[in-house]
Amino acid sequence: MAAGGYFGRALLVDAGTEAATALPLSDDLLRAYIGGVGLGAWLMHRLAPPGVDPLAPEAPLAFVFSPLVGTPLTTSAKFAVVAKSPLTGMLNDALSSSHFAISGKLTGNDAIVIRGACRRLSALLVDGDSVRLVDAADLSGLPAAEAERRLRDRLGRGWRIAAIGPAGERGVRYATVSHDGRHAGRGGLGAVLGAKRLKAVAVRAGAKVASADPQAVLGAARDLRARSFGPATAKYRELGTLANLLAFNAISTLPTRNFQTATFAEAPQLAAEELAQLRTVTRNSCASCTIGCEHIYKAKGGKQARVEYENVFALGPMCGVSDPDAVLAASGRCDELGLDTISAGGTIAWAMECAERGLIDAPWLRFGDADAVIRALDEIGARRGLGDLLAEGTRRAAERVGGGSAAFALHVKGLELPGYEPRTLQGMALGLAVNARGADHNRSGAYEADLSGDYDRMAGGDAQIAGAIETEDRAAVMDSLILCKFLRGVFTEPFDEWAALLSAVTGWDTDGAELRQTARRIVLAKRAFNIREGWQPEDDWLPERLLTEPIAVASGRVASLTPDRLRGMIDSYYAARGLDSEGRPAEASLADLRLD
Amino acid sequence: MSETAGIVLAGGRSSRMGTPKAALEWHGSTLLRRTAGILARVADGPVVVVRAAGQALPELPPAVEVVDDPCEGLGPVQGLAAGLAAVAGRAEIAFVCSTDLPFLHPAFARRMLRAVADGADVGLPVARGYPQPLAAAYRTTLAPVAQRLVREQRLRPAFLFDECTVTRLDDAALRADPILAALDPDLDSVLNVNEPADYEAARARPAPEVIVQRFGTLADGHRGPRTVRAATVAGAAAATGLALDGHVVAALNGDQITRDGEVPLAAGDTVFFLAADAGG
Repeated sequence: MAAGGYFGRALLVDAGTEAATALPLSDDLLRAYIGGVGLGAWLMHRLAPPGVDPLAPEAPLAFVFSPLVGTPLTTSAKFAVVAKSPLTGMLNDALSSSHFAISGKLTGNDAIVIRGACRRLSALLVDGDSVRLVDAADLSGLPAAEAERRLRDRLGRGWRIAAIGPAGERGVRYATVSHDGRHAGRGGLGAVLGAKRLKAVAVRAGAKVASADPQAVLGAARDLRARSFGPATAKYRELGTLANLLAFNAISTLPTRNFQTATFAEAPQLAAEELAQLRTVTRNSCASCTIGCEHIYKAKGGKQARVEYENVFALGPMCGVSDPDAVLAASGRCDELGLDTISAGGTIAWAMECAERGLIDAPWLRFGDADAVIRALDEIGARRGLGDLLAEGTRRAAERVGGGSAAFALHVKGLELPGYEPRTLQGMALGLAVNARGADHNRSGAYEADLSGDYDRMAGGDAQIAGAIETEDRAAVMDSLILCKFLRGVFTEPFDEWAALLSAVTGWDTDGAELRQTARRIVLAKRAFNIREGWQPEDDWLPERLLTEPIAVASGRVASLTPDRLRGMIDSYYAARGLDSEGRPAEASLADLRLD
Repeated sequence: MSETAGIVLAGGRSSRMGTPKAALEWHGSTLLRRTAGILARVADGPVVVVRAAGQALPELPPAVEVVDDPCEGLGPVQGLAAGLAAVAGRAEIAFVCSTDLPFLHPAFARRMLRAVADGADVGLPVARGYPQPLAAAYRTTLAPVAQRLVREQRLRPAFLFDECTVTRLDDAALRADPILAALDPDLDSVLNVNEPADYEAARARPAPEVIVQRFGTLADGHRGPRTVRAATVAGAAAATGLALDGHVVAALNGDQITRDGEVPLAAGDTVFFLAADAGG
C-alpha cells in the first residue's frame, strides 16, 4: 500500500493506440522525488529516449501530481507538466493549477504520462484506468479556454480539461498548456501536446486517497489558511504580481526595449497602483487557494484580461509599449493563442531590434508600436510570414538571421529572460545562468536574495552563491510538494515546516534536513537529464548584451556584469553544488538519483 | 581591488565633549554609526573604524571593520597610518574623516575622492577657512609614508603633505561641483562638534530634506513622491507612517536595498519603500 497522499503508480498512455499501462512507483522513489517537478524529472529520465526530438511521437509528456493535492492545504491544487522542451532541448517543467490537479490525481494516478501521437486531432480522456480518444476536429484552431468549454459541454459533469490553443497545434516552440485560464507556460509544452495531435486532455475523478494523519493535516490547513491572510501575501491579494512593475522601475530592474535599459519612463501608466484604482474588475483564486492573486482588469472594448507582472513586462516595457489597453489586448491575445507571454514578448522585442538595425525586413515592427505587437503575435500563432521565424524563439531565430543578432537575443538555453534585470540583480544573474530550465524566475528565485539587502545586489561575488542555491532548493521542494510560491513568505523555517506537512500527509518521518537533501537531488536530476541530452558548459551562461553593456542606475552608479564576474560566481556555485569545474556531477553522486 | 574605501578615526579622548563622541545620539542612531554609514554609501570597498585599543564603540553594521590603533594619543597621522594600512591592497583611495562630522554629505566625500582619482595623492579640502585633513581623501599607498612619519615623530598632517602631491580645494572649487553645491551649499560637511554646545546646536537643526515614495501595497493612499525630513531610513519610514518591519525594505536612491533603519540619509536622498517579497 502506498504512503498517504499517493497511489504509487503512474499511468502510461500511448496516444497512438489508446493503450494504458501502470508504472509502479515505490515509496522509496516517491519519497526521493515527492511529486510535481521532482517526480517529473525522474519520469523523464526513465521514459524519454536519450536524444529524443521533443516533438517526436515517442517523446513523453507527463502531467504530474503531488502528495498534497486534494488536501485542504491552501494553494495545493497544482500540477506540473513535464517534458523535454522543444524550445531549449532540455528538461522543462511548468506548473498550472486548480481543479485539473485534483481530478487528475483522483483518476488514481500520481502522474499521467503520454507518449505516441494520434492520427488526427483528438482529446484524450482519462477516467481511472480507462483511456480513450475522442475526435477533436471541431476544436481545431480554438483558443484553449473555448476548447475547454466546448469539450466540457460535450463530456458532461465531472470532467476537468487541460487544452492547447492554436499556437500549440501549429508547433510554436513556446506554446502553453492551459486549464481554467491558467497556463503551464514556459518551454513550449503546448507544442509537445500539439505534436501528439492532442488538443486536450480530460480527466475525471473516481478514486480516493487519504492522508496518514487527517487531523494533523486539517490543523495545518487551518494554520496555513490564517497565515495566508497575513502581510506576507498582501501584495498578491491586493495588487497581484503587477505590483512589481513600478517598484522594479524605481530600482532599475525593469528590462526595457530588449534589455537596452532597465527603466521605462512610461511605467506609471502600466502600474498596478494605477490599474487597480481604475480598472479592477475582480479577483480570482485557484481551487483550494485562500490568497486569490489573480487580478482581472477591464480593457478597452469591455474585454477583460488577467494581468501578471511578467506579461505586462514582456508585452509592455520589453517592447517599448506603454498603452495599458494595448498591453492588456496583447496579453489577452497570448491567452487566446496559447503563447507564453515572456517568450512571445522577448522574441518580438528581439525582432524589433533586428528590424530597427535592418537585419530583418519588417519596417512595421518598431519598439513602442502596440499594433505591431498584436500583428506579430497573430503571425506567430499562425506561423505566418515573419511569425514562422519568431515561432522558433530567439535562439533559433538569431541563428537564422545572423548579423550579430545573437548578442542581443536575450535567452538562456533558449528560454527567453523574465522581467528581472541581471546587471542590477547579480544573484539572479547567476540563477538565470545555471538553472536547468533556462532563464527562469520560478525555478531560481535568487532575486529574493538580491532584494533582501543582505549584500550589494550590483556586485556579484561569493555573497550571491548561498542565496542562489537556497532559492533554487526551496523552489525544487515547493514545486514538488506542490505549494504555490506566493505562499513562501509565510514560512519562517520552510524546510522544517514543509517536512511537517509532508509527514502529516504521507506518514513518513520526514524532517527538514531530508527535504534539503531531496531538493539537491531534484536539482541534480534536472542537470543530469540535461547533460544526457547534450548540455555543454557554455549553456550555463548569459547573453552577450548583459556582459558587455553596463547600465546606469538612478544613483549615478553604473551596474556592470563582466564575464569574469559571472565566471567567478558560476565556479563558486559549481563548487558549492559539488559539481566539477565544468558543471558536471561526480559519478558517485548520480547513484543517489535512483535512475537505474 | 576596489577603487575606494572609507576610514573613520574614532579614537581621541573627547575631553572637551566630556563623553565619547562616537556614541552621541543622532536621530535615533549614533554619530559614529552615521559617519560610518555615510562612508559605506560612498565607498565601493571596505569601511574601517580606527579606535584606541579597547575603546568601546556603539553598534556598527557587520560589514564595518574595526581596527585598533596600536599607538593611542599620537594624533591624526598615526590614525591615518593605521587606517590606510588596514585598507592598503584592498582599495586604491580612501576617504578619511573623524567621527564628529554629523553633516558630512556623500557628495562631499565623492568630490574629494575624485580629486585623488584625477591624479593627486591627497585631496584636501580647505573649507570654511581651514584645511580639513580629517575630511580628506588619501591614496592608500601613503600608508608606509605615514607610518614612517610616526616613527620619526613628525605627527602633523602637513609633514605628510610635504611628501606627496596634494590637490587643495577651497570653498569656490568645492562649490564648482554642481551636485555638492546643490546638496551642501554651506559646506557643512566639515562642521565638527567638539563641545556639548556644538552638539546641541547641531542636534537642534532639522533633519535633512529627503524624498520618499512607497510602492505597491505599501502605497496605500500615499502614491507618488513626498518630501519629508529624516536623518535615517527608519526616520523616513516613520515620517510617512510606515513601520520598517520584516515585510518592508528600502532602496536608497534607487541603488542599494536595505532593511537597516539606521542607514543615514543626507539632503537630496530619495528613499523607496518596497514590499520585502518583491518578485513573482
